[in-house]
Amino acid sequence: MQRDEIPPGTLYLLILKTLALHGELHGYEIADSIQRTSDDVLQVEEGSLYPALQRMLIKGWVTAEWGVTAGNRRARYYKLTPAGRKQLALELSQFKRVIGAITRVIQTA
Amino acid sequence: MSEARELWRRLRMLFHRRQFQEELEEEMRLHLELRAQEHVENGLSAEAARRTAYRRFGNPTVIRETSYMTWGWGWLESLVQDVRFALRQLWKTPGFTITAVLTLALGIGANAAIFTLVNAVLLKDLPVVDPQSLVRLGDSDQCCVNRGPEDNVNYSIHSTDTWQRFKQNNPEFEELAAMQAGLNPLVVRRDHSHEPAHSVNAEFVSGNYFRTFGLRAAAGRLLQDSDDVQGAPITAVMSYGLWERDYARDSSVVGSTFWINTKPVTIVGIAPEQFYGDRMQSTPPDIYLPIESMPGVRDKDYVHEPEARWLYLIGRVKPGTVLAPLRQKLSAQLRQIFATNKYFSNAHDRTLLDRVQVPLTPGGAGIQNMRAAYGSNLRLLQWIAGLVLLIACANVANLLLVRGMGRKAEMSLRTALGAARARIVRQLLTESLVLAVLGGIAALAVSYGGAELLLKLAFPASSDVPIHATPSLLVQGFALALSLGTGVLFGVAPAWLSVSAQTADALRSGSRTTGRASVLQRGLVVIQAALSLVLLVGAGLFAQSLSKLEHFDMKLDATNRYIIHFDPQSAGYSPAQLAALYQAIEDRFHQIPGMVKVGLSSYTPMEPYGDNESFRIQGQPDLHKTSSYIWANSEYFDSVGTRVVMGRGFGPQDIASAPAVAVVNQAFVKNYFKPAENPIGAHLGGTDSPGDFEIIGVVEDTTYGSVRWKDHSMLFLRLLQQTASAGKPADKATLHYVRAIVLETARPMNTMEALSRQTLSGINPDLSVVKFQTFRSQIGEQFTDARMLSRLMTLFGGLALLLAAVGLYGVTSYGVARRTSEIGIRMALGAERSGVVAMILRSALLQTMFGLAIGVPVAFYGVTLVKSQLYEMTTVSGGALAVALGILLAAACVAGLIPARRAASVDPARALRAE
Repeated sequence: MQRDEIPPGTLYLLILKTLALHGELHGYEIADSIQRTSDDVLQVEEGSLYPALQRMLIKGWVTAEWGVTAGNRRARYYKLTPAGRKQLALELSQFKRVIGAITRVIQTA
Repeated sequence: MSEARELWRRLRMLFHRRQFQEELEEEMRLHLELRAQEHVENGLSAEAARRTAYRRFGNPTVIRETSYMTWGWGWLESLVQDVRFALRQLWKTPGFTITAVLTLALGIGANAAIFTLVNAVLLKDLPVVDPQSLVRLGDSDQCCVNRGPEDNVNYSIHSTDTWQRFKQNNPEFEELAAMQAGLNPLVVRRDHSHEPAHSVNAEFVSGNYFRTFGLRAAAGRLLQDSDDVQGAPITAVMSYGLWERDYARDSSVVGSTFWINTKPVTIVGIAPEQFYGDRMQSTPPDIYLPIESMPGVRDKDYVHEPEARWLYLIGRVKPGTVLAPLRQKLSAQLRQIFATNKYFSNAHDRTLLDRVQVPLTPGGAGIQNMRAAYGSNLRLLQWIAGLVLLIACANVANLLLVRGMGRKAEMSLRTALGAARARIVRQLLTESLVLAVLGGIAALAVSYGGAELLLKLAFPASSDVPIHATPSLLVQGFALALSLGTGVLFGVAPAWLSVSAQTADALRSGSRTTGRASVLQRGLVVIQAALSLVLLVGAGLFAQSLSKLEHFDMKLDATNRYIIHFDPQSAGYSPAQLAALYQAIEDRFHQIPGMVKVGLSSYTPMEPYGDNESFRIQGQPDLHKTSSYIWANSEYFDSVGTRVVMGRGFGPQDIASAPAVAVVNQAFVKNYFKPAENPIGAHLGGTDSPGDFEIIGVVEDTTYGSVRWKDHSMLFLRLLQQTASAGKPADKATLHYVRAIVLETARPMNTMEALSRQTLSGINPDLSVVKFQTFRSQIGEQFTDARMLSRLMTLFGGLALLLAAVGLYGVTSYGVARRTSEIGIRMALGAERSGVVAMILRSALLQTMFGLAIGVPVAFYGVTLVKSQLYEMTTVSGGALAVALGILLAAACVAGLIPARRAASVDPARALRAE
């Protein structure tokens, strides 16, 4: 199966969107969700999720709270904040603008 | 806003970083386990599942590190690491660390201590409202009452009349206050109390004095204009110090009556706690009285004498006042006032009139008498301390260089192992900064102790000096900044040198080198030696100067002599009662067993007072020469040990009604008479009445005032004798008040002070002792300054010597360490041990010699700058120079010999094997 690296800079967007869809998730669930939703095409080096999450915590886009998984394990659950939602909207519109532009360039050819 | 929250989150993380690490760890572990579990469910073996999970996850250590760095505390972490490492490194070399810290501490601490004193004595403002708008009408320290033209054209003290005219005619002043220039002790006793009368320092001030300074009473009220009116009931303000010391802040003191100089005075209030008067002095005034009460309290009439100048003036100018025109205006007014002054009437004085000036100086610091008295000494000390600091800095630089070079191999190894150069430089820099901070902290301790010590040395007698020996925040900051500056400056160079060396080269060459210490290092040692020489020569000169002062033949005898200062006028004696009082004093003191002589006089040798007048010999032209004069009784000369060399001293026949007689000293004869002219039998007197006194004898030149005052004409007049003409200086009955009793006893008597007090109060309870001391201690007080300077110079000279020796030792032993293998080879090839010692010693001594060669001319130049503070010395004395050279060379030998002997004990085989 062909697996692709995610385009640089889109990791935040993916995490934000995933959290927006599912509410509270822990790290493994976020990685898993991104992978499944992309039909296993998008491949995150899973560890890189964690520095990104730390940065989002600092920025105040997400909050984290410890909870218990279905398998009765302790896990840290991340949740979007209002600032995170705003950021998602921002990144989304930015991404669409870039993708739209790229698409137009490619199609003219 | 969001930035603040972000910072808050970062900070919270910083304080919970252990928890942070653990939680991240747990989170990542969970992730890996869940992933592995998923692979196992998909049919992989446990081991393969774990490996696949790790592969997809990436390197957990790197991720942990990256996550942690995201929070932005990496720099702090590595700083803590650097500091810890630096402390460990310093701990490993205690000799180096202690030397460097002590060097910094002594160099900086000495400066901070001196700066504290300079700040307090020379720079500090009075504790008053808005000191910047205060202006003083004068620029020099004057005492006490002057009448004729000053030697210099600037007038710093003024008459009551002048003050009032200035006040009326100059609207530029919001307030213009006047205060007595020369303070006097007054005798104070509280009404209805059993306390004995005691002497306190008092100051007569204008009614607006406290208002001018913007002060508020600690209790009661302060003086006001209505207190300072002729004929008003006498009121006074007490200092907070006296109120606290003697009356335990008893509120009933305010409003109660005190007997001051036997006159009833109402204490209306207490001055503010911080206020120590308008000038810094060792005994601040304890009682403030209105100017107009002076005639009542002290029987002094010069208050209303338009020509008598006795007041300092300080005014508060209105905002926006320009001082230059005001100064011209005041000077013009003063010239106008002097134009009608009888003391300016002769032709010579009239020419002076045009140049009369009223200098305006900043008044915020009050009357800066201490600046005049101690300014030059303090500035000298500041320079000296600066030199010591320079030596200290050179020393620290040297130590750091030595250390840096010594670690070259270590640094090269670290570079070779992949450490970034920047990281190594940072590490070295951290080390010198840590050292500097340690030094700075130690310096603060030194400055606290040092300022205390200096204060004690400067004012040994008094505990009331209003100077606090606590270094201010400014001084502490100054000390820390200085040490940090030293640390950075002298840390960067070695750091840079040690890294910029070619790694491979340094590793290859190891310690096999014949290289010596660098030019920079040797230069530093040379400078240290030169500066130390200068300081040591200075210390020697000041010690010599002091010894000259103390061994100066003052032509007096202080053995078993005691001096009592007292004030019969304060005790209420009128001129008519004096004869009986003096008789009683002579009689009662002679009744004390062991009493030999009882002298009475207006003042005594080696005290800082004096009365001067112009005298003239009858039948000769007026030489316009002034002489000091003393009223004395018949036993006075014997009591102070002055020998009569010609004619006779005062005898019992010179009773009050007998013709007035005078005794002159040899300097007087030299100044007023032609050589070989016989002064005995000549008549002299004031310029207008030259026939008043007949000279009956000549005495030796006993030193009055100061030993620096050479060839000083003295005239002694017989107490209580009246002159026919009633001209100067016998025109004022007040001049017959004596101020001192000089006692000579057959043996030392420890009980003399108590006996004196008893005897005096036995005559009259209001007769109090102003000051009791042995003649010897009165003389000693005159040398306090010289002694302090000499001690401090010795202290600093010793310090400099120590630092220079340490520096030389450091450089020499570093050289030896580097040349160990070279020395080993030399010895293997047959060099003698003595030859090795000589070789090492030679280079050490060469540097010192070089330093001395530079230091000698500098010392000669330095002396020309401090000449005025030395007694009868104008250039470097051979003795001081020889001693300083000897000490420095000896120190250099010791500092060089230790490493030289170490070099000679090198075992050739081991030295070569160590490669």
